[in-house]
Amino acid sequence: MTTGYSRFLSAFFCVFLGGLLAWHVLLPDRDRSEVENRTLARFPEFSWEELKDGGFTKGVEDYFADQFPLRDQWTGLKARTEQLLGKREFNGVYLCGDALIAKVEPPRDGLEEKNLSYVARLAEAAEVPVYLGLIPSAAEIRKDDLPKGAESWDQVAFIAQAAELEGVESIDFLSALRPFRADQFYRTDHHWTSRGAYSGYRAVMEALGRGEEAEQERQGGFWPQVYSNQFQGTLYSQSGVHWLEPDTIELWASDVGLSVTSWRDGSPREAPLYDLDKLETKDKYAVFLGGNQPLCVIKNPEGTGKLLLIRDSYADSMAPFLARHFEEVHLLDPRYYRYSAVKYAEENGVDAIAVVYSVPNFITDRNLVLLTQ
Amino acid sequence: MVFSSLTFLFGYLPLTLALYFLTPLRRRNFVLLLLSLFFYGWGEPVYVGVMFLSIFIDYTHGLLVEKFRSRDRLARWFVGQSVVFNLLLLGFFKYWDFLAANLSLLPGVDLPKLGLPLPLGISFFTFQTMSYTIDVYRRDAPVQRNVVDFGTYVTLFPQLIAGPIVKYKTVAAELVCRTVTSRDFAEGACRFTAGLAKKVLLANAAGALWESCLSSQSAGTLTMAGGWTGLFAFGFQIYFDFSGYSDMAIGLGRMLGFRFGENFDHPYLSASVGEFWRRWHMSLTSWFREYLYFPLGGSRAGTARTLRNLAVVWFCTGFWHGASWNFILWGLYFGAWLILERFVFRGLLARTPVWIKRAYTLAVVFVGWGIFAMEDLGVCGSYLAVCFGGGPLWSAADGYRLRSWAAVLLLLVLGSTTLAVDVWKKVPERGRKVLAPVLMGLGLALSTAYLVDGSYNPFLYFRF
Repeated sequence: MTTGYSRFLSAFFCVFLGGLLAWHVLLPDRDRSEVENRTLARFPEFSWEELKDGGFTKGVEDYFADQFPLRDQWTGLKARTEQLLGKREFNGVYLCGDALIAKVEPPRDGLEEKNLSYVARLAEAAEVPVYLGLIPSAAEIRKDDLPKGAESWDQVAFIAQAAELEGVESIDFLSALRPFRADQFYRTDHHWTSRGAYSGYRAVMEALGRGEEAEQERQGGFWPQVYSNQFQGTLYSQSGVHWLEPDTIELWASDVGLSVTSWRDGSPREAPLYDLDKLETKDKYAVFLGGNQPLCVIKNPEGTGKLLLIRDSYADSMAPFLARHFEEVHLLDPRYYRYSAVKYAEENGVDAIAVVYSVPNFITDRNLVLLTQ
Repeated sequence: MVFSSLTFLFGYLPLTLALYFLTPLRRRNFVLLLLSLFFYGWGEPVYVGVMFLSIFIDYTHGLLVEKFRSRDRLARWFVGQSVVFNLLLLGFFKYWDFLAANLSLLPGVDLPKLGLPLPLGISFFTFQTMSYTIDVYRRDAPVQRNVVDFGTYVTLFPQLIAGPIVKYKTVAAELVCRTVTSRDFAEGACRFTAGLAKKVLLANAAGALWESCLSSQSAGTLTMAGGWTGLFAFGFQIYFDFSGYSDMAIGLGRMLGFRFGENFDHPYLSASVGEFWRRWHMSLTSWFREYLYFPLGGSRAGTARTLRNLAVVWFCTGFWHGASWNFILWGLYFGAWLILERFVFRGLLARTPVWIKRAYTLAVVFVGWGIFAMEDLGVCGSYLAVCFGGGPLWSAADGYRLRSWAAVLLLLVLGSTTLAVDVWKKVPERGRKVLAPVLMGLGLALSTAYLVDGSYNPFLYFRF
């Protein structure tokens, strides 16, 4: 190595490290990451106490990583490299042709059994019939599309076990979702599409003994209309696989004649069924009812019966269909709604309670214990 | 702080290099000492105190040994005192909980567990400082009268937390006077990048494969194929992790003007277990040889003594790797193979073709990794039972794993041989000049991508 060439190599090394450091310093800090859908760490405040127990240096490391320049692009580069190496799994997400499917890990600490028992206790305490619907995720419905031999937890066995639950009626989402399996879930997001939500709604109506009614409504027609073809969902973020065609969001059911009350920040407020502003953000699935909230009530003076859904976000896109039939649909999210569901049902005179969860959420959620209140 | 972190690569390292080279030559040790202490204190600031204590005690003991050189008994006493101090330090932080848990099994004994976090690199720096006092006594190294220079040796951040174990005598001269040419720096940077890529790109990939096999074991779906895949994956993980870390240390040392010894020499090409240990973690093996095996009498005092000495050394080697029974078992396992090779197989091995000897060595070593990797001996036993036929041969999950990791496994296998070095030597000078920066850029960029991805933590309201 000549001196000149050594200097060149040394400079190259130093410029790479120092250059990114300078970039990092000069780049203004971001508050949140749209892609990751979370607040990013800020530079921690110094205190001797924090320094002593290692919290300060940990904070600096979090800050350094969170505010690193070109974060999303580095992740994309990693995913591309993995693809080149023949990997089919990207951070717990399988790439299956043109779709991403999240792997379902086995439940921990027997949480799935506990959650089932909480639902059974809800049924004991409630005066009205209680239904349990577990929505199998894409990893089950599109099992055949997974890479050969790829592991994912057996959801069918668990759904069958749940159907045996004492005192609880079951909603059969499995058979409802199996036809048209490729269209039931978004390709870049873990939620079901409007097509999937429609299948789900049919299953709910069937379980409640109102299947006929739903069949008639179908004649009247739901009109699929494309509202966005730029949806890049949670799996897009998690996997780093950024090269797939974005998803299309369709809205099927009309919002005419419905009134929606949302308790997003604790007090009741008028809200739209479809929050079209959300289509301009990254998290476009929030177009349905505007995204997460503790409690939401949809009223339809022409409907009959009052239904309480204890649910996860899958119900957001199913609610517009149900609202065509029920006088009131109450959507309660135990992550944010911390009071007794049984009492809520009594106070509002509902006729039926349906616990509707996707399997991956049901087996990992630690809030369902609230159902026993 | 670890080398394979964004904070080190893009924060600590560029700033440290800048400060170091802006400092006039005679102040560099002082700056390096401060920077190394900062590096050390990053994870557990309170343990900087342990470091100061260690520097102070070994520094004074070196002086005492030198001062009382004419009175041999006293000098030996101080050497012993320093060794005892270092072993107590190591024993307290690393082994207390293990000893307490096991001694408490005896009736009438109840020792509390402390659950202290292990001070970073304590296994390495206590061994280094022990070598210092012993070398001063043996006149293998000059005594160091300058506490800053001595402190720089003890805390030197490139090798502080994961070796190689640099004996004082190998860097004694460079501590006082060293120069860094641009060639040193450039070669150090290349070496560092190679080590970083080995750690971040290869070791972590092998680690993910091992984790996958291990989770099959806990789910009860492990097969013989999966079991061996896992053992090989772990063996590659630990090799690329550790040798990558050594490469980074050697490269950083070079950039700062130090030349550390090599620590790995393609150990998976060895044709006997004995050879493996001459090529694996060489600085540790040579430390034990020089400061334990030879002082015990080595192999010169008859068969019985040799056997005893081998048993002691391999017990210690195993125990050094971790405070748990499986590490002791792992050490003794190798001790047993070495004894067999020396006393039973010697003639047989001499007549065996080299490729069979290599296969035999790999099998011994990789089964050994099974013992090393699984601290719970119950888990370890049932895992190894599956590897040796106590379970199904093959499942669809094995096919998936092998297909997914085929390219990585190929890289791991080739990376364990001398192929890359051989090919590199064949490339004409001009080609190398073009390729070196390309490979360096690629190594740095891909490592960065994987590190950023590791910190990438989408909050997916995934549940909802």
